[in-house]
Amino acid sequence: MDGVLIPTLVSGLLLGSLYALMAAGLSLIWSTLGVFNFAHGALMTLGAYVAWTVTEPLGLGFAVGIVAGIGAAVIAGVLIEWLLVRPFYENRNMMLITVMTTLAASTVIERGISMIWGPRLKQLPRVMEGQVSIFGAPVSAHEAFIIVLAPLVLLALWWYTSRTRTGRSLRAVGQNQDSAALIGIDVPRTFSIAFALSAGLAGLIGILLGSIRFVTPGLGADPLTNAMIVVIFGGLGSLGATAGAAYVIGFCEALLVLWLGLYWTPSVLFVALIFILIFRPNGLFGKSA
Amino acid sequence: MTRLLDVSGLKVGYGAMPVLHGIDIHLDAGEPIGLFGPNGHGKTTLLRAVSGLLQPTEGRITFDGKDITGAKPSAIVAAGVVHAQQGNTMFGDMGVEETLELSAFNPRAREGWKDRLIEVHTLFPRLAERRRQQAKTLSGGERQMLSIGCAMMCNPRLLILDEPTLGLSPRLKGELRDAIASIAEKGIPLIVVEQDVEFLLSLSSRLYLIEQGEVTNEIDKANAPDHQEIMDMYFGEGAH
Repeated sequence: MDGVLIPTLVSGLLLGSLYALMAAGLSLIWSTLGVFNFAHGALMTLGAYVAWTVTEPLGLGFAVGIVAGIGAAVIAGVLIEWLLVRPFYENRNMMLITVMTTLAASTVIERGISMIWGPRLKQLPRVMEGQVSIFGAPVSAHEAFIIVLAPLVLLALWWYTSRTRTGRSLRAVGQNQDSAALIGIDVPRTFSIAFALSAGLAGLIGILLGSIRFVTPGLGADPLTNAMIVVIFGGLGSLGATAGAAYVIGFCEALLVLWLGLYWTPSVLFVALIFILIFRPNGLFGKSA
Repeated sequence: MTRLLDVSGLKVGYGAMPVLHGIDIHLDAGEPIGLFGPNGHGKTTLLRAVSGLLQPTEGRITFDGKDITGAKPSAIVAAGVVHAQQGNTMFGDMGVEETLELSAFNPRAREGWKDRLIEVHTLFPRLAERRRQQAKTLSGGERQMLSIGCAMMCNPRLLILDEPTLGLSPRLKGELRDAIASIAEKGIPLIVVEQDVEFLLSLSSRLYLIEQGEVTNEIDKANAPDHQEIMDMYFGEGAH
């Protein structure tokens, strides 16, 4: 058992890190606008494909590829907000309408990617080559990089939303739009900022994921379901709770895969989510408001 | 001389339901004005239109000679018109100090925000005591102080206060009224909505009575009504 447990925990840590980065982006939009962006996964995929194109066929190097991939995701994210979310701000059913519009965006982006890039599998280079060992478990340096990067990004996000003027304005808009407007915050502009930031994060994760898995049109959609479980599990909104839930789900998934196999793991996670929500309707770490 | 604020022929509605049927009010520099009248007759709607939260269907609002009709709320705050809402909790999960700091958001408010924070703390010492508390844990009176404090942090050139003492105990009412009076003494032009006409008269030189979405009476110090006349205005002739 000992020989398997530590690698499993390390793989749980990696999964948790990926989920934390994804869920942080989702939760940023949720806590600012009160909508779920179902195109988040498609933005990850787009980031990975653009990074690949710039790096491989264009040969401009991976660093330029990363910047281009994140940039493409940001542009797409802002466009989604502008075209598919903004027209429905005043609508009472905004949340339901944006479920449909962002799902539509997700489908269009994924099909568009299939048309442009074709079905051939692609792979991005790694940020770092080589192997490192975490508690005796061998891990690729690239995966170790993700494990270290995730808490740093979360910390940066926390610092941004609690210490900077613009970051604080995101929270203010999420809590009371009228009051935010009346102290001079441009509410629609703040929505764009939230979408841009979240999409940038999506692009980054897509690129990191594209070095571990093959880059396919479904690259982002698959882990997105689990990231959504994370956001709901964490109790919607608070960054710390979302991060905590991400690691809990990551470890659970890794252990479940070890004990039950890949086949039943997603179902068990969903059942666990339902049970937790019965006893803790505001999520695992949610406030009992 | 140009008027500081000039609202003319303002019509506002919610959907197809008209609420304001052509309001004319104005304010000259250094002249606080008051608005009063029964609840649900359009006072708050008027203020929301002035601060840009509602789009007027007709009419014009100018501030300091500039047309601000239908402008974005953020642009209106940047121009200097700041509106402290009625019974407002601001941002429940944010700390008191954090909220005040954030309120110095518009470019005009950023310089000298620290001095203004000290000013707000002098005005409302309780906000200094509660600086680490979350806004949602504040009492009704403290929330009102926070709301006015945030408006002060915006560096207002015209401050609009919507029923700042609504639902407060007499002692807190007194405290807030003293604070509002000292804001007026600083020379910040004020529009105050209140039910208490005597308080308004102590503060401002002119009052507008708003009824059924229209200005039905304009009062100044010279024709100040006595108690009976105020009762008549609210409840109709012959009420006691």
